[in-house]
Amino acid sequence: MDTEQDVTGEPPRSAPYYAPAGDEAGLFEQAAKHDLPVLIKGPTGCGKTRFVQYMADRLGRALYTVACHDDLTAADLVGRHLIGPAGTFWQDGPLTRAVREGAICYLDEIIEARKDTTVILHPLTDDRRMLPLDATGECLHAAPGFMLVVSYNPGYRNLLKGLKPSTRQRFVALSFDYPAPAVEQQIVAHEGGVDADTAHTLVKLAGALRHLGGHDLDESPSTRLLIHAARLIRAGVDTLTACTACLAEPLTDDLTTRAAILDVVRAHFAVAPARAPMRTSIRTSIRTPIRAI
Amino acid sequence: MEEQVGIRWHHLVTRLADTRHPQAAVMLERIAPRLATVLRALGADPGLGVRASPERRLATPRRWLQKLAGTGRRHAVAWRDDDGLRLPPVLDTFDQIALNEGLGLWLVALASRAPAPGPADDWAGWNRRLVAQTLDDYPGLAELYGRLARTHVAQRPRPALQESDGSRREAALQAALLEPRDAPAVPPAAGDPLPVPLWLYPVEAADNARPPSDDAAEERPAAAGAGQQLRQRKRASYVDDIDGRSGLLVFRLESLFSWSEFIPLDRTADDDDTDAARVAEDLDHLSLSRKRSASSSRLRVDLDLPSATEDDIPLGEGRLLPEWDWRKAALLPDHCRVVPMLPRGATPLPLPARLQPAATRLRQRFESLRPQKSWLRRQADGDVLDLSACVDFSVQRQLGSAPGQPLLWRRQSAQQRDLACLVLADLSLSTEAAIDDEHQVIDVIRDSLHLLGEALDAGGDAFSMYGFSSRRRDHVRLSLIKNFADAWGDEVRGRVQSLRPGYYTRMGAAIRQATEILGGQAAEQRLLLLLTDGKPNDLDLYEGRYGMEDTRHALMEARRAGLQPFCVTIDQEAADYLPHLFGAQRFHLLRRAQDLPRVLPQLYLLLTGRSP
Repeated sequence: MDTEQDVTGEPPRSAPYYAPAGDEAGLFEQAAKHDLPVLIKGPTGCGKTRFVQYMADRLGRALYTVACHDDLTAADLVGRHLIGPAGTFWQDGPLTRAVREGAICYLDEIIEARKDTTVILHPLTDDRRMLPLDATGECLHAAPGFMLVVSYNPGYRNLLKGLKPSTRQRFVALSFDYPAPAVEQQIVAHEGGVDADTAHTLVKLAGALRHLGGHDLDESPSTRLLIHAARLIRAGVDTLTACTACLAEPLTDDLTTRAAILDVVRAHFAVAPARAPMRTSIRTSIRTPIRAI
Repeated sequence: MEEQVGIRWHHLVTRLADTRHPQAAVMLERIAPRLATVLRALGADPGLGVRASPERRLATPRRWLQKLAGTGRRHAVAWRDDDGLRLPPVLDTFDQIALNEGLGLWLVALASRAPAPGPADDWAGWNRRLVAQTLDDYPGLAELYGRLARTHVAQRPRPALQESDGSRREAALQAALLEPRDAPAVPPAAGDPLPVPLWLYPVEAADNARPPSDDAAEERPAAAGAGQQLRQRKRASYVDDIDGRSGLLVFRLESLFSWSEFIPLDRTADDDDTDAARVAEDLDHLSLSRKRSASSSRLRVDLDLPSATEDDIPLGEGRLLPEWDWRKAALLPDHCRVVPMLPRGATPLPLPARLQPAATRLRQRFESLRPQKSWLRRQADGDVLDLSACVDFSVQRQLGSAPGQPLLWRRQSAQQRDLACLVLADLSLSTEAAIDDEHQVIDVIRDSLHLLGEALDAGGDAFSMYGFSSRRRDHVRLSLIKNFADAWGDEVRGRVQSLRPGYYTRMGAAIRQATEILGGQAAEQRLLLLLTDGKPNDLDLYEGRYGMEDTRHALMEARRAGLQPFCVTIDQEAADYLPHLFGAQRFHLLRRAQDLPRVLPQLYLLLTGRSP
């Protein structure tokens, strides 16, 4: 089993932090109420996964998360036979478990999964709400409360990958983006544990760097990167070092772009109080030529 | 002898009079890409750039040595214009490299806060407010600015003791540099103060810096390539054409134009007048003539057809292809003749040396992405048992439904990635346009084809490359660079190197022909990659909506044939029409044409799913 699973199976103990950007929580609740599957699209690190965790907690449902990848087979989702001490036995996959228990099944980056894998979702995502298990001959009907949530990043323009239109048209779709500056500042301050000023500067810096997305940079800096930088800064790492490690290096391999990012970082963070000594030095600089004479 | 003494004297006295620091000079062209990125980030506009500024004449006070040497009249200063920032081509105000680089960064930050070019009046007040705002917005720059301002003020002359307008202004200026927030206003005085390298200047006032509105200009085929580019941007203004048809010939000796005022450097007509170009370099003001008409330039192009012995070698009579007429909503059968061509005089050439390092890097990267050997599961025979197949088999046997010939083995085999790519490059005359001081679009396309070819060759994907251009519907030229059967090598590199721009862009016919070629490939995934610099257009009615709709139809045919068309363009207006032609996610717009060779292989990886 090479599925990367974060199978908690029970609601997290403390409620996950999530700052809503709009009415996405209301929409999600309505979708859950009416047994509709949800598709979330948005750039990397903008809070898709956190949102799903938050909603699972709010709805009081268990959450099964599957990170999708090229080799994900239908068996990885549905389940397979395993060998035990008394011969073989059937092991439910995360999707089957969610269907039986009435939990939320979250398929992260579904676009990475092969198209034939996603086809098994079809009978689950229309009003039949059932999951046929070929290997055991069962046909499961989803328990009340079962909900399918998938997400992907539309920024990757891979011609050979993509959701089949027939898959895509089964979902209620929510489009995510990086939060508005005020909200993002609040998130960075809360998650990164830094003061409001540092969070403000980090968000302003990210705003500047996001202008480079799609042009100088392949992708814009994410809220997640900002939180990482904030955590390092809070831990006492020098601001420039933290921004180099958390912003410049992850965003680009190009030396010129990296140097430019560092210039932008330097412009945003005051290094030392510079205003006071300036006045004293005016006199020295004007006096110097006189001394020379 | 006298001449030599004169030259020596000139060198000596100009060096003595020079206040700059050549030993710490920072060349703008070295740091411009980095500064431009910073400007785009801070200035919130992806279209901004950093370019070199010409020197401008300022009526500044000069030292007696400068008067003696005849220097100090013209100064390179920085200013903000609509396209971004103009910086002196050499930054050598300070005696330390770090400070000169810092000056560039400072001016970029300053320009990012300037919403528009500065006003001509109240120049000092505008700059002071701008500096204060920049320091507020970017507190990290306070330390740098403090150092720059202190060092620069120490370089400026100490205001003379006697009270004159000039010295009062100089004193106020120095105070404003050191204390941009609370220094008193700078009083006016005659002449210009010594240049302030830390401030932005207004755009140089020119009475007619905009070309006179000329409708014919729009219809002209885009052949804007100037034969020789001047290294610096020159101040230029358009002058009224001398109307040769006016009846009365008035001849006054004093109205003869001198060289310095008017030289008929007709940039639109592609004159190879190297002499004029040389003279233009010496002048600080160019007068441009706008004289032209669509008919004359069309005539010129048609007459410029190379003779049969000079032109590329046609490979056969060509193939008749249909064209879509959107007004009739019908395909016109056999409407275009596509003639395959082979570049004449293409000799096998090695890869240009300057591309060598990039090519080596790309080769390594793509070689590592070559299809790896992989384990095939559930085989009838093989080297290793397939455990999951065995488990399934034993389960099925217990359930009583096991197959008689179970597939229980794993076998290692080279997996074929089933991918074919056809690159179709626009070679129309518009690719002759200059993109910077030294390069034309066609140079960039050549470099891109070289590097992409190296990369794809290393990656082991099947690919072919064609160029296209057209002259009306009976002569659509499809230049063969590499077909699917050719091996990538010096012969193909020679063909890439001998590509020359010419004619127009009948995109639809070229796409149909490419569709036919690529459709003949048996690969499962077939990528049609189009490189272009503008809209479809040709001499006849193939322009505007007609060309657009035909291209769109050709692309729909390609998609129906199971191909994946994708377009890479450097046309800045392409976002207006490419979504209509290719679909929202099916094109890439490059802001800087120079990036194409670097971006194209990356884009290829992205498109074929081998990089996130």
